[in-house]
Amino acid sequence: MKTNAKAMGLGCCPCCHKVVKMQAETQQCPRCHRSFSVRKINSLSHTFAWTIAALVMLVPANLYPMMIYYTLGQPEASTILEGIATFIQFGMYPVAIVIFIASFVVPLAKIIGLFILMYHAKRASKLTVKQQGQLYHIVEFLGPWSMLDVFVVAIMAAVVNLGFLSSIEAAKGITYFGLMVVFTMLAAESFDARLLWDAQDQKPKTDDSQSQLNEAKSR
Amino acid sequence: MAKPAASLNNIVVCRRCDAVLSKPKIEPGQKATCPGCSALLYELKKNPMERTMAVSLAGLLLFFPAILLPMIGVSAAGTHNEASLIDCIIILLNTDYHIVAFIVFLFTIAIPIVHLLAAFYIAVAVHFNKISQSLLVFFRSYHVLDSWTMLHVFFLGVVVSIYKIVDLAELTVGGGLMSFVLLLICSTLVSVTLDHHYVWEKMEQALED
Ligand SMILES: [Zn+2]
Ligand SMILES: [Zn+2]
Repeated sequence: MKTNAKAMGLGCCPCCHKVVKMQAETQQCPRCHRSFSVRKINSLSHTFAWTIAALVMLVPANLYPMMIYYTLGQPEASTILEGIATFIQFGMYPVAIVIFIASFVVPLAKIIGLFILMYHAKRASKLTVKQQGQLYHIVEFLGPWSMLDVFVVAIMAAVVNLGFLSSIEAAKGITYFGLMVVFTMLAAESFDARLLWDAQDQKPKTDDSQSQLNEAKSR
Repeated sequence: MAKPAASLNNIVVCRRCDAVLSKPKIEPGQKATCPGCSALLYELKKNPMERTMAVSLAGLLLFFPAILLPMIGVSAAGTHNEASLIDCIIILLNTDYHIVAFIVFLFTIAIPIVHLLAAFYIAVAVHFNKISQSLLVFFRSYHVLDSWTMLHVFFLGVVVSIYKIVDLAELTVGGGLMSFVLLLICSTLVSVTLDHHYVWEKMEQALED
């Protein structure tokens, strides 16, 4: 039982959401003039490439220091994890938790999440397709929030600038970290979530109770 | 077998799960969601154009103080230093972090400005029925940029920085921060007030005749 647009020969413009009949693999939207296809072309290979690029950036982002803190001329460099350890030492648990989640857990979770999604787009799985959709939504939503650390370093480097007394400088890790965040966002953007439902439709289904044309809920 | 839909205008397709659904009838202020994956299909908003015009114009005006005025400063042992958003970028450039400077500029200044400008232009044009082909480009770029504005993340960055600095030295808060908070509110409200569905239908009607 297929009620999806692809099976009915319809396409939905990714920009203005107009529903059109697909006459070719790629065609122009009559309303907003953007060209699009039924599914994003080579979605999985693009997602895979961006995810690998992000994974590669994750390593130097964590090994190199994010910023260097000078007190009375004495430099002290700290990586993401070292920075978190310092916060814990001083008992600043809320900040430690925010930074730990935003700059360590989330980037890693996003990359793992993207791999899970890519795997499921290929084959059916134990996760229900609705859960996979939610996973995609989370990965997409978290995207910009990982940029937090980059902004914090940028602000600190500009504000804490008291000459010999104390100053903060950005360090190498920040570039890799920033690129990593951009790459995971591009990976999420190139992923076509509809592939998850396509994979679901390919495996034999037991419940045929679904009606052909579902009624949309309104609330 | 699936009956071919009577008219393509009476159906909607879920962008997340590709389900074909009959178009639900909703009132302004309501949302329609996909029963399969609970993604938002579309919503109708109240007075979308007037509200968007007001909010995006306010946001554009707030951009100047938000970028140029100092946000936070520190003072210790007689020395004082404060920095604005633009200072953050200049210092990154001076210390040769070109990529990071570009990232910060792109996500906190360039994209939010174009995003607000596009929203303002669209609201004005649709409200006064001056719809032209060039509007398509603006509204398309508005959609593309929607997920790439990071004013909210930058604001959290400022909060975290304040928390960090409080322990180091005496902290001062500048007018830039206040303007930035207001700008953030305006830019968030634009996404809330601008009704995509309404604008596209208006444009389709206007460009057909
Ligand atoms: Zn379109
Ligand atoms: Zn759906």
